[in-house]
Amino acid sequence: MDFAHEQAGDAIIVRLAGKLDGSAARTTEANLSQVLADSEPRVAIDMSQVDYLSSAGLRVLLLVAKKAQRAKGKLVLFDCCPNVMEVLSISGFDKLVPIHTGSAAAIAATR
Amino acid sequence: MLDFAEEIVLLQLDYAETRPIDLPLSAFEIVIAGAAVMELALRNRLDADLDRFFLIDQTPTGDAILDDALLLLDRAGAEFGPRTALECTSDHADAYRQMALQGLIAKGIIVERESGRYAIIDHREERELKDRLRQELLTDEIPDPNNVMLICLVEAAGLIGQVLTADEVARTRARVEQISRLDLIGHAIAWAVADMRFIVRH
Repeated sequence: MDFAHEQAGDAIIVRLAGKLDGSAARTTEANLSQVLADSEPRVAIDMSQVDYLSSAGLRVLLLVAKKAQRAKGKLVLFDCCPNVMEVLSISGFDKLVPIHTGSAAAIAATR
Repeated sequence: MLDFAEEIVLLQLDYAETRPIDLPLSAFEIVIAGAAVMELALRNRLDADLDRFFLIDQTPTGDAILDDALLLLDRAGAEFGPRTALECTSDHADAYRQMALQGLIAKGIIVERESGRYAIIDHREERELKDRLRQELLTDEIPDPNNVMLICLVEAAGLIGQVLTADEVARTRARVEQISRLDLIGHAIAWAVADMRFIVRH
């Protein structure tokens, strides 16, 4: 899984690409945890290039969302592809973590 | 730090009566098999999507229960469903329960009073476990993934009343349902456990 991040004002956009599954879980968790290390982190994850989300990948997203909440920050996802959205919807993850269309809406939602 | 099998066995012990809560042995075998399968997922040995379970790493964990379950799942094939995962591991579940009990004894948490009867002598782990689950269930915070798995299992085992009062159980139905869906493996195993427990009872 490819991982990149960039500053967008006072928020950070994380761009993930590839399969978020068991083989990518630990590295992705470590990378996201580094980004969340700031106090009150505001993070928007671009999911547009994530084409597969497994149970292990969903667990990573839940864990980092929990970390963001503990740090009094905000984590949102945006531009999920349909099969990833299906997993997020069936699991009810979308009821806990906001999911947006477009980076502008996502960044605004981190505030 | 307890593993899932130890935590579920600890919750299952009715410490006031020093005997296991009334669950048919065959039903509890399914629950403890579910605990092993869920723990393998948390140890990154097992993964799943909406259609299937599959092993991603056969490296032993160093835990006797988990490594035995890992071998059994490896024989189940490249892909399998939650019910198959439970069926192939529940054959060894009585041994898993004994190992979990021995683990709790070795950690000084319970003692064996007589054959098949146990008493909790150190309630700190039990209190910490219940407090942790209560915190997840009685708030609307994003739950910790480990606790999500355990809540799936506790709910499927019919042990939620060990953690919450009857009034709290009634008040938190939606929250339990919400949390139980958050892990694909936890949810699928919980459904299979509940289904197989129903078959055992009837």
